[in-house]
Amino acid sequence: MSKKSTPPTANFTVGPFFPAYFVEAGCNDLTRAGTNTAKGQRVLLCGRVTDSDNEPASNVILEIWQADANGIFRHPSDPRLPEADPGFFGWGRTLTDQQGWYRFVTVMPGAQGGGNGAPRLPHINVMLLGSGIMRRLVTAVFFGDEAETLRDPVLRCVTDVTARCRLFAVRDPGLDCESAQAFRFDIVLRGQRETPFFLD
Amino acid sequence: MPGSAESQVAYFPYEDNTQTAREIEGYSRTLTRTPLKALVKRPLTLSELTGPTGLEGKLKIGNNDLSRAVPGGPPALGQRIQICGRVLDEEGAPVCGAVVEMWQANAAGKYIHEYDKTDSPVDPNFIGTGRMLSDEEGRFEFLSIKPGAYPVPESDWWWRPPHVHFSIFGPSWMSRLVTQMFFPGDPLNESDLLLTSVKDEEARQRLIAQLLPTKVGANNILQFRHDLVLRGKRITPSLD
Repeated sequence: MSKKSTPPTANFTVGPFFPAYFVEAGCNDLTRAGTNTAKGQRVLLCGRVTDSDNEPASNVILEIWQADANGIFRHPSDPRLPEADPGFFGWGRTLTDQQGWYRFVTVMPGAQGGGNGAPRLPHINVMLLGSGIMRRLVTAVFFGDEAETLRDPVLRCVTDVTARCRLFAVRDPGLDCESAQAFRFDIVLRGQRETPFFLD
Repeated sequence: MPGSAESQVAYFPYEDNTQTAREIEGYSRTLTRTPLKALVKRPLTLSELTGPTGLEGKLKIGNNDLSRAVPGGPPALGQRIQICGRVLDEEGAPVCGAVVEMWQANAAGKYIHEYDKTDSPVDPNFIGTGRMLSDEEGRFEFLSIKPGAYPVPESDWWWRPPHVHFSIFGPSWMSRLVTQMFFPGDPLNESDLLLTSVKDEEARQRLIAQLLPTKVGANNILQFRHDLVLRGKRITPSLD
């Protein structure tokens, strides 16, 4: 006889008062894990979050999750875990300022491919929490060659080509700093130029 | 096949009636910050089926006493409470080592936050944030004071009932949970636009903590029990 399962607890907005205390200094710098430094190309990932009125969405919490420079996730489900970079946790958190800007310092994630896993273009998972966002919004930012889009099983689910292009980070050398290559990824929560979000 | 030794976890889409509504009339920000287009269905790959581990190396963990601003300091004002519960998966199995973050208003309904512009009093002995890891049986507990209700500034009638925020990191990117816990018997629960947006009666009731049998003794604390269910079901291979 199968046991009755319980649906997950309902998700709620974080509201406007997510504690600053939980966005600790260094939370948006993924290039350090303890005393170790991450391997790979340093990347500044930054952008602006806006709402349906094209107004900056301030006080929005962003969390990211990604593979290390060799495409390995620091997680027991990744068969390559023993080779994971000890200097890289793969997770970060920040919040947008009054103008809707956010920034992370990280490393360029490696691709996944071959073997038993699904081939994935280099990408970073992004989730957003905030006042008015009742359930987290989930998207991903991609790096590299748009021509290879159809190799990625998640990216190719975004069938609207114009919308799909919005998931690629745009290289912006003018923002480079401290040996990090800058990439811009703006997020539109709602409206004509809305960012594609994934069913969670 | 590599990785198949341990039990597989499956993630099914949320049943909408057990979740809060995405757009809520009367909560205007939900109408400017919720996508208009249908959310894109995608397969789950290693990227989504993994998630941060070892966050205790990145985040400060170990404060589960909110009843004082500093250990040994003067107590915060308000009714002292303890919230204990378990982090579980959909099949009732404990989730151990989950990072559990909680935050709340003080007894007067005031948050320590730059965006809380109400003139309700600040309690210097109350900060209102805690963070701990669930133990091997999925248990967590926080000592705190009962939060007050507060008015929503953009509304001319809406008061949030006393509630506690929780943010939990489960075993993967898919099992992340951000929720709110309510208190039994509060009349404001009935009119709260967020709580009442959960249409399924049972799912809504599970958002309300349970008062445990009361005790009078050396430490006078009202105890509440509240379990948190993360997404994820272990699947056994079918025999077809």
